[in-house]
Amino acid sequence: MTDSKLLTGGGLLFKVLEQHGVNHVFGYPGGAIMPIYDALCESNVQHFLCRHEQGAAFSAVGYARASGKVGVCMATSGPGATNLITGLADAWADSIPIVAITGQVPTAAMGSDAFQEIDIFGLSLACTKHSFQVSHVDELEKVLHQAFEIALEGRQGPVLIDIPKDVQMASIAATFDATAHLKNKVKLPLADISKALDLLTHAKQPILYVGGGVGMANAIDEVRDFAEKTGMPSVSTLKGLGAIKPDDENYLGMLGMHGTKAANLAVHDCDLLIAVGARFDDRVTGKLDQFAPDAKVIHFDIDTAEINKRREADAPILGDLKENLPLLTLPLEIENWQNRVQQMKSDFAWRYDHPGENIFAPAVLKEVSDLMPKNTCITTDVGQHQMWSAQHISVDDPCNFLTSGSMGTMGFGLPAAIGAQISRPHDTVIAVSGDGSIMMNVQELATIKRYQIPVKIILIDNAKLGMVRQWQDLFFEGRLSETDLSDNPDFCMLAQSFDIKTKQISKKDEVTSAINEMLDHDGPYLLQVKIDAKDNVWPLVPPNSANNEMMESA
Amino acid sequence: MNNYKLIIMTDDKQVVLERILQVTRYRGFLIDGITAKVNTGNNIATIELFVSSDRSISLLIDQINKLVDIKSVKVDNSASQLTKAKECSA
Repeated sequence: MTDSKLLTGGGLLFKVLEQHGVNHVFGYPGGAIMPIYDALCESNVQHFLCRHEQGAAFSAVGYARASGKVGVCMATSGPGATNLITGLADAWADSIPIVAITGQVPTAAMGSDAFQEIDIFGLSLACTKHSFQVSHVDELEKVLHQAFEIALEGRQGPVLIDIPKDVQMASIAATFDATAHLKNKVKLPLADISKALDLLTHAKQPILYVGGGVGMANAIDEVRDFAEKTGMPSVSTLKGLGAIKPDDENYLGMLGMHGTKAANLAVHDCDLLIAVGARFDDRVTGKLDQFAPDAKVIHFDIDTAEINKRREADAPILGDLKENLPLLTLPLEIENWQNRVQQMKSDFAWRYDHPGENIFAPAVLKEVSDLMPKNTCITTDVGQHQMWSAQHISVDDPCNFLTSGSMGTMGFGLPAAIGAQISRPHDTVIAVSGDGSIMMNVQELATIKRYQIPVKIILIDNAKLGMVRQWQDLFFEGRLSETDLSDNPDFCMLAQSFDIKTKQISKKDEVTSAINEMLDHDGPYLLQVKIDAKDNVWPLVPPNSANNEMMESA
Repeated sequence: MNNYKLIIMTDDKQVVLERILQVTRYRGFLIDGITAKVNTGNNIATIELFVSSDRSISLLIDQINKLVDIKSVKVDNSASQLTKAKECSA
C-alpha cells in the first residue's frame, strides 16, 4: 500500500525509522542536526539523550546486541560525528547492525571548512560496512531503506548516513512504498559438504569451535543440536559465549589467550576443528602455525573473506549456518576422546579457594552468575574484569553477554548496559566494569539518572589499569608505567550524586549479602568491589606462544 | 613481491574509488597504477587496479568484493604473469 504526504527530510527520517520497527534512538543534538531533532517532537520514536555521542553509539550497540534489532544513534556534524567513530568501529569489528545518522552543514557550505564541518563520510569508510551522504532530499527515503538492509544483510555491520541540514529541512512527498532491495551479487557456491562429511566421519578427536556468528545467524538451536547429536566436545570464543549450554558435559569453555586450560589443550590435540561463525582471531589462536597443528578444518561462515584468511580450510562451507550445519549432524563414535576431554575438564576446573580475607574477583563473579535471575544480560568493559567475567559467569545465550570483543574498547560496558536495559526492560542487566574503564564513559551515569534505568554496576576496583599492569609485571620486567589509578574519585559518592544507590565491599564475608542487596534493589545500583591490585588473570597464553604453552602463575 | 592486475566492475556510486583504495591499502597491498572509466549508458565503472604484495591476492579480491557497490572483481592473469616474467628477466 502506498501512502503519500508532504514531510521535511527530518520528518521522513522518523517515518522510515518507524517503518523499520525502530522504537528507540540514542543521540545528542547540535546545530547541524536541529531540523531532525525538531521533527523528533512529532515522532513516535523515543529518543534517549546520552551525555556523549560515544555513549549514544555504544548504547545503540548494546541495544542491538541484546535485542537482535538494529540499533540507531544520531549526532550533529563535526565533533558530534567524530565522537560516534569509536562506537562505529566497535560495531564494525564485532559485526553489529547499527544505523548512525549524522547532521552535516548545508550542501552549499560543504567543502568550505564551515563551522563544525568534518568529512564524516570520508572518515566513515574504514569503520563502517557502508555509508551514504545524501545530496538531495529525493534520495533520502531510498537511502534509509538501503541502510537498514545493508546493516542486516549477510555479515551484519554499521551503516552511516550523513544528511546535510538543508536536506533535513527540504520538503518531500514521501511514498512509503517498498523497501529498496539490494542487487544480489552472483557468487559461486562454496560448500564442500561431501568433503566435510568425509572429514567428520574419519575424525577421532574433533572439536567444535563456536564463534559470535552463531548467535548472529540465529543458529543456536542448530549448533546445540549438532553438539548434542554428535557428542562433539566444544569450545567458544569470547563472542560465542552462551551459544553452547554452559552445562553441556562436553563443553570446555572459552579458548584462547585467557581460555580454559582444558579448551586450549583439547584444541591443540584435536584432529578436526569445525569452526562455526568464528574467524581464527589472533587472541584465539595464539601463535597461528601452532594452533590446532594436526587438525583438518571445516569452516562454516557467511563471509567469503573469512574463509582461508588466517587458516586454510580443508572444507569451506559458505552460507547460512542454520541451513548448512544440519547437513553434518550425525552421531559419532568418539567415546575415548569424550572421556579424555571430560577428564581434562575435571582436572583443570576453576578453583575459587583464595587465601586471606581480601575479595577474589573470580569468586565474586561466579557468585553473581549463581545468584542472578534467569536471562540476565551481562555487559563488560575491557580489561581484567572482562576476562574474569568471560571465565566465571555462565550465560545461556550470546545476547546475554555483551562485550567489546574485537576492538576491545574501554568505555563500552556502561552505555551498552543502558542500551540493553532499554531494549529489555523486564530483564536484569548488569554492567561489570573496572575502575579504569568506567571513567571512559562515566558521564552516562547521568543518562541512568535521567531515565531511572535500573542497571546494576559491579565495579571491580583494583586502583590500577589492571591488565596493562599485569603485562608490565610479566613482560616488561615489572616496570610499571602509567597504570596506577590510586587517585580515583570516590566512586560511591560519584554514583550517589546521580541518585544511584551504592555499596562498597572489600572483604570476602561481605560478598553474598552485597550481591543479593544489589539484585533485590529496584533501581540503579553500583557495587564497588575492592580487590588486591596484584591479582592476575590466569591462565594466560604469552604473546607469540602456542595455546598449549599457557602460563598459570607468575 | 607479487604483481597483479585486477579488473573491477562497479556501480558508479559515491566514493567507490576511495573505498577500493582504502581497502587495498588496509589489506596490505601497494597500488602501482590505476585506470578508471565509466559507461554512462549503464553507470557501470570499470577500474583496472595494478597492485603488489606478498599476500595472497584472494585476500584482497574477497575484501573488495564485499563492498556494497562492487559487481565483480577478477584477476587479469595474463597481465599478472607478464609482470612476473619481466621481473624474472630483469
